Amino acid sequence: MSNPVNLTIDGKAVQAAPGTLLIDAAKQSGILIPAFCYYEGYSLQAACRMCLVEVEKFPKLQAACTLPVAEGMVVRTEAASAVQARKTTLEFLLTNHPLDCPVCDKGGECELQDMVFRYGAGESRFTEVKHHVDEKQWSPVVYYDAPRCILCYRCVRVCDEGMGVTALGITHRGAYSEITPNKGDHLNCDQCGACIDICPVGALTSGIYRYQTRPWEMEHVGTICTHCSDGCKTTLGVRNNEIVRGNNRDSTGINGEFLCIKGRYAFDFIKHEDRLQSPMVRRNGKLEEVSWAEAVKAVAARFAEIKAAGGAIGVAGSVHSTNEESYFLQKFARQGLGTPHIDHARSGDVPALIHALAGKTDALATADSLYHAKAVLVVDADLSQQHPFLAFQVRANVRHHQAAVYTVTRGPVREEQTAAKAVHTADYLAGVRGLGEDLKKHADLVIVFGDGIKGAAVGELVAFGDSLGIPVRYVCLVDYSNSRGAMDMGLLPELGPGYHPAAVRGMSLPQMAASQDLAALWVVGADPLAGGKRLASGKAFVVVQDLFLTDTAKQADVVLPSASAYEKSGTVTNVTGQIQRLKKGLNIMGAKPDLEIFGLIARAMGVDAGRAQNEAVFEEIRKSVRGYNVPLPVLATGGAAQAQPVNGRVDVLPDPELVRSAGDTLFTSGSLGRYSKILGSVMEAPGALYKG
Amino acid sequence: MPYNKPHPAETIIISRRFHLPNSASIDTFLAHDGYKAARKALDMSQDDIINEVKKSNLRGRGGAGFPTGMKWGFVPRQSPKPKYIVVNADESEPGTCKDRLLMEFDPHRLIEGCLIAAKAVGAHQGWVYIRGEYRYLIDIMDKAIAEAYKANWLGKNVQGTGFDFDLSTHTGAGAYECGEESALLESLEGKRGQPRIRPPFPAVSGAFQCPTILNNVETFCAVPDIILNGGDWYASLGVPRAGGTRLLCISGHVQSPGVFEVPIGFPMMRAINEMAGGLRPGRKLKAVIPGGSSCPVLKADECDLPMDYDSLAKAGSMLGSGGMVIMDDSTDMVKAALRIIKFYQHESCGWCIPCREGTLWLKKILTRLDDGIGVRSDIDLVGELAENMLGRTFCPLGDAAALPTISIVKKFRAEFEARLAQVQVPAGVSESLVRIHV
Amino acid sequence: MAINQVFKSASAIVQGLGITFKEMMKPTVTEDYPDVPPVFQERFRGKHELQRDENGMEKCVACFLCAAACPADCIYIEAAENTDKVRISGGERYASVYNIDYTRCIFCGYCVEACPTDAITHGHGFELAAYDTAALIMRKEDMLVAVPPGARPPVIAEAAASHGH
Repeated sequence: MSNPVNLTIDGKAVQAAPGTLLIDAAKQSGILIPAFCYYEGYSLQAACRMCLVEVEKFPKLQAACTLPVAEGMVVRTEAASAVQARKTTLEFLLTNHPLDCPVCDKGGECELQDMVFRYGAGESRFTEVKHHVDEKQWSPVVYYDAPRCILCYRCVRVCDEGMGVTALGITHRGAYSEITPNKGDHLNCDQCGACIDICPVGALTSGIYRYQTRPWEMEHVGTICTHCSDGCKTTLGVRNNEIVRGNNRDSTGINGEFLCIKGRYAFDFIKHEDRLQSPMVRRNGKLEEVSWAEAVKAVAARFAEIKAAGGAIGVAGSVHSTNEESYFLQKFARQGLGTPHIDHARSGDVPALIHALAGKTDALATADSLYHAKAVLVVDADLSQQHPFLAFQVRANVRHHQAAVYTVTRGPVREEQTAAKAVHTADYLAGVRGLGEDLKKHADLVIVFGDGIKGAAVGELVAFGDSLGIPVRYVCLVDYSNSRGAMDMGLLPELGPGYHPAAVRGMSLPQMAASQDLAALWVVGADPLAGGKRLASGKAFVVVQDLFLTDTAKQADVVLPSASAYEKSGTVTNVTGQIQRLKKGLNIMGAKPDLEIFGLIARAMGVDAGRAQNEAVFEEIRKSVRGYNVPLPVLATGGAAQAQPVNGRVDVLPDPELVRSAGDTLFTSGSLGRYSKILGSVMEAPGALYKG
Repeated sequence: MPYNKPHPAETIIISRRFHLPNSASIDTFLAHDGYKAARKALDMSQDDIINEVKKSNLRGRGGAGFPTGMKWGFVPRQSPKPKYIVVNADESEPGTCKDRLLMEFDPHRLIEGCLIAAKAVGAHQGWVYIRGEYRYLIDIMDKAIAEAYKANWLGKNVQGTGFDFDLSTHTGAGAYECGEESALLESLEGKRGQPRIRPPFPAVSGAFQCPTILNNVETFCAVPDIILNGGDWYASLGVPRAGGTRLLCISGHVQSPGVFEVPIGFPMMRAINEMAGGLRPGRKLKAVIPGGSSCPVLKADECDLPMDYDSLAKAGSMLGSGGMVIMDDSTDMVKAALRIIKFYQHESCGWCIPCREGTLWLKKILTRLDDGIGVRSDIDLVGELAENMLGRTFCPLGDAAALPTISIVKKFRAEFEARLAQVQVPAGVSESLVRIHV
Repeated sequence: MAINQVFKSASAIVQGLGITFKEMMKPTVTEDYPDVPPVFQERFRGKHELQRDENGMEKCVACFLCAAACPADCIYIEAAENTDKVRISGGERYASVYNIDYTRCIFCGYCVEACPTDAITHGHGFELAAYDTAALIMRKEDMLVAVPPGARPPVIAEAAASHGH
């Protein structure tokens, strides 16, 4: 900080860096200057006039949101003239504001309400007829009630600057001005709902939450979104054991302000009518509902039988389960069932990256590095579609730090709008090498790569990074909320927890499916037989734990209904290796968390696989999985603990051919997405990858 | 022909070519000293041009009256960015109609002024931002610009001096707000015409974030004579802190309204009585808007003063854009206030709250007062609301709406009271209760 | 001695009956409940009533402020949105479920105070005793006042129209 500027705010001596805005300097010293249009991180408007303050030597009141601090400045934020100005501004604002607080969704958490309580007049002198226009529905998830709008333009800015979508603008003028969507009467956008979250009043409301309840009637549960691997924190509003909304009220997560449509709305799959409510056992060729005791007994007995007979048991883990569940599953499988055949749907070649980075420190990027790096290179990923939060970080980096973005993709992506250079090619490594001279110029670089770079190509990419002579960090993109955790926990036939080679190398998922001798297949939250595939082994005993009757479950002998991420606790690891805790939002009947199911089966089989309980399992993970010895208080307080980079060679590298991303877009999310009616309802918008 | 004949009391400088036959053509222009100043300026140094303009005490003719030389001096000439010239021809202030005459009868004077300004700051591109309603002027300007290109007064290597300057017209869509310089620049850039946060001012960061000289048509048109005859000569025409002449647009209840060129400091009553032919027989002067509708009105007894910046400021008003509206005793001041506020309500861009909501509220109250269904507290409310807008809006449009309203309510309160609702308010009953019923 | 005693007793009886006769002449202050309905002060806080407006629409817009104000936590509401087909209240929203648990209600009147639309008021109903506590959880239908005569709230009007008018 070059020489700080000294000023006085409300009689308090304050120091601030030159160029700091008065409103920020005041905030840093604990003085809150009210404002509607000012929003940290977005461009300045000075439109609401709420932040007018008295500054000595200025003849008029000054807008604190655009006035940079100056040496010797004396500011009075609560001077009588400033308070009077706020009171009158609020009086003006309320003239055409409908005052329908009792029915407004924002009532109770409305910035205008708060402001009027603090500065407003008790009564209105406005006795004229208010200007009214009817409410409009812009999309299945966004409604706009123009009379409530105070025209602070936050939504316009968050959509333009934050999301890079620019779907909102202003039409008409004067008191008749309105926010208008890009298609005139409806929105064609990411449907992220950031505009709703950022709206200080109830002008923009959520199609899901509208008129459901009031803010104080809900419990607010901050947990981690269960869709993509970015690991955004979403705050679930729970009332009567039902999630009524998701938003970003708790902006303490790694995602800060950000949430996409999945984190905000796509929790509705949990109450889909096809959700499994009861365990089922196949009798006479048909799945029949049975009690938990009966189902568990059936599974345990059969597993014990096959184990005793030395039959091959295949285990397919989940990319949505918690770390505890994945760890317990592989441990139970390897030690309890004595089978090496463990796998899951792999979507990024993390082991190859860890192997290639052996001996390097600080070479794995976090979500934060994408915001601070001087340059970002995106290889084979449509970041805005597949990893919306990482894309948001990159955009914020460009906006706030003028970072240089480079893309090497097979088609147009949104990042190109602000990219220094964009290359379209399917030969990713060649494309990357062509950017060498440009990349060298920057102080540091983060390379984000998708499943187009796997196996040996990962090593070549790292070698290219080394050749640049600047610090380079990497992100290997994976698909789902705990895809990364599943690998770290050793749900791989070749590797155990912490990328230690497995004692015995087992079969991969395709090998299990093709095996004639497979005696049993235990599928936990996965759908390896999607699309009506059949197992080569006709006699295999198939057990499926899932939320829905998937294609695999339809072929199962026993189906056990499991809990979703919003209905259980545990930890998950995001794409950049940040461990965060799930917080149980609601109680369920019928289904059980996977960990509890494992425990029941283990007990019924008389196998001691340790306590099937989150804290106990996580303690074991901390001790035995490399990189997971993270501070518990960070997790306990809802923070993200960085899994310490695993530093060392991976002696056995899994087959890269099995690495394949599902290529989900903003509006798809594997099988969960199929059961989310909200995601299905907004498909009109850019629901395809590489369309820019 | 301009619609009024020149008056003998005028000091004709800027309007001297208005009455020539075919005055807009380059031939007429060249035959009457046209481009002589530009020719001279092209050989002058940048500092000399700016110094000459500074010496002339020329102040912006758009309304704010900022010293032009100083403004030009703010342009960072060493900046590697391109510099631009922008002409504010978005003449929208009610009562003002001078720029249209300059462009209609002497468009080459404007081009010459731009060329000199361009030379002064090293700009090679300029735009004339013309309001959309001046459709016919756009054609005239385009024609003049084409002529100037043909005669090599615009384009590459102007008159063999090696100096390049391109000029073109740009049409507004008819928003008063775009007469505000930063909103004009937004509009010029193809965005919604809303004002920008200032500082930075256009001289430092204007069109496309580059240093920009943005002046009114009349300001640019004054420059050629300053270069030709010297800044001192121009300064000597006016008063100590404001040099030269300016065009007064006198309209309203006078016998021969028109545009008249007078030196700054010319007595107002002479302008009304001599040049504009005085009031209609039997009528008495009631009020004068001295410089466009955004200036506080002056009562008849306040009008005996010289038309210069300081005298008008002392009288509580402004010289503004030179649009004088004369109102005689037949004028209904409630209606006048309503008409003014209707205009500003219609033109408020909606950016900031006090102006957006205040103008609409004022319009509604004044409409009621005008309809004779207002109550006593409405009069105070109008004044109070206008005061609450004053100085708190993002751009001067809010002040422009508030100032005339405040002055009319204050100075002609009796007229408002005479129009109150004829409802007997029983003792002890609050007026607000009655208001709901009326 | 004895005669004295007799007089004393007799005078006591006369004295006592005197009061009786005196009071007999005065107007009655007790009420003949349950033979005659009791008379209440206007401000008496009895069983709640959910009001309708002059068009017969429910006044309650399900703002939950009564539930928030309730110190006994006895009000339970579920909100739903009025649509063109089903229009129950004057606002955008109406209470699809509105329950008051009279085993918990303390008749403090805070809910009435909190109501921004004057939808909930205290009626004069007081005969709330029940053999079953479940019967003390009153539903919206139990508290809603009748549609005022002549009013045709839209849902009802629509139903009437569909009956061949």
